[in-house]
Amino acid sequence: MNTSCTECGATLAVPNDAIVGELVSCKDCSQEYEVAEISNGSVLLKPAEQVGEDWGE
Amino acid sequence: MKVSITFDRLRWEEKALSEAAEAAGVEATLVDSKGLIFEVPKKHPDLGDVVLQRCISHYRSSILTLMLEGAGLKVINSHDVAERCSNKLATSIALANAKVPTPRTFLALTSEAAEEAADKLGYPFVLKPFTGSWGRMVTVVRDRSTLQSLIEYKEELANPQEQHMYYLQEFIRRPPRDIRAIVAGDNIVACVYRIAPPGEWRTNVARGAVSKAFKPDTELKEIILKAAEAVGGGILGVDAMEPESGYLVHEVNNTVEFKGAQSAVDTDIPAQLIKYVSQVARR
Repeated sequence: MNTSCTECGATLAVPNDAIVGELVSCKDCSQEYEVAEISNGSVLLKPAEQVGEDWGE
Repeated sequence: MKVSITFDRLRWEEKALSEAAEAAGVEATLVDSKGLIFEVPKKHPDLGDVVLQRCISHYRSSILTLMLEGAGLKVINSHDVAERCSNKLATSIALANAKVPTPRTFLALTSEAAEEAADKLGYPFVLKPFTGSWGRMVTVVRDRSTLQSLIEYKEELANPQEQHMYYLQEFIRRPPRDIRAIVAGDNIVACVYRIAPPGEWRTNVARGAVSKAFKPDTELKEIILKAAEAVGGGILGVDAMEPESGYLVHEVNNTVEFKGAQSAVDTDIPAQLIKYVSQVARR
């Protein structure tokens, strides 16, 4: 499933077995996205949350 | 039996847990916590018999677990355990009270008191944030002038807990590695060394440490299980060090990451964790 990076416009290839919540990165600019929705072979991405001070184990 | 695995960032671990559940015939659903809405106290989405809490954000995890337990759901780990593990002072208190060997630790509530505590502890010592992970902002303080500089930096932080209060811990001379044990209930699922990368004293996998399997001796096994019990039990990552004087437990992690450990051991860690989740769900 292909879509475009909203940051740099490069083509973003999302694996066909991706699931909602999975993270994908733009190979060109490294912008990180989260898979928001998958329907009928098309994928909707949203920017992933940035690392927070309280993130961890 | 139905299990929900709540997350806010879908990592390898959560996918592996989901796959392990499927392989074990356990109905498990990955649930993005960022989309959940509750009406206090009891109206909530159908999350099944037990929730495996895997949020990466401590505060989101804590609030969500509080809500889930308030709604009557069983959560691994409980809110009490999560709070005890996510605050290093609370962990230290629990370990010390349970007589688990742990490094000498001081709390200071002002910068002046921090300097006094440092004198009592002696240099070098380790300054750690109360909340945080992956070795972030964990610093070896080698002399008073370094501490004074760190105090100036800390006073610029926005978080009042980290801005004005100080958690100081004895610097332990050890090999360039520590021990990570993954515990589920009273079972040590896996035990690995975490070997610090060149030029780094911290042994977090997030800092580039490499995992290597090893078999803990009887003494270490007892200490690991006692540490897990001291914080309240559940699925935990117990971190220990091995100075010449004997084992010391320095941290217990509530939402244990195990990708690094899995790369080093044959045991199927997610399968073992799901087995524990199933046992808890049946209780």
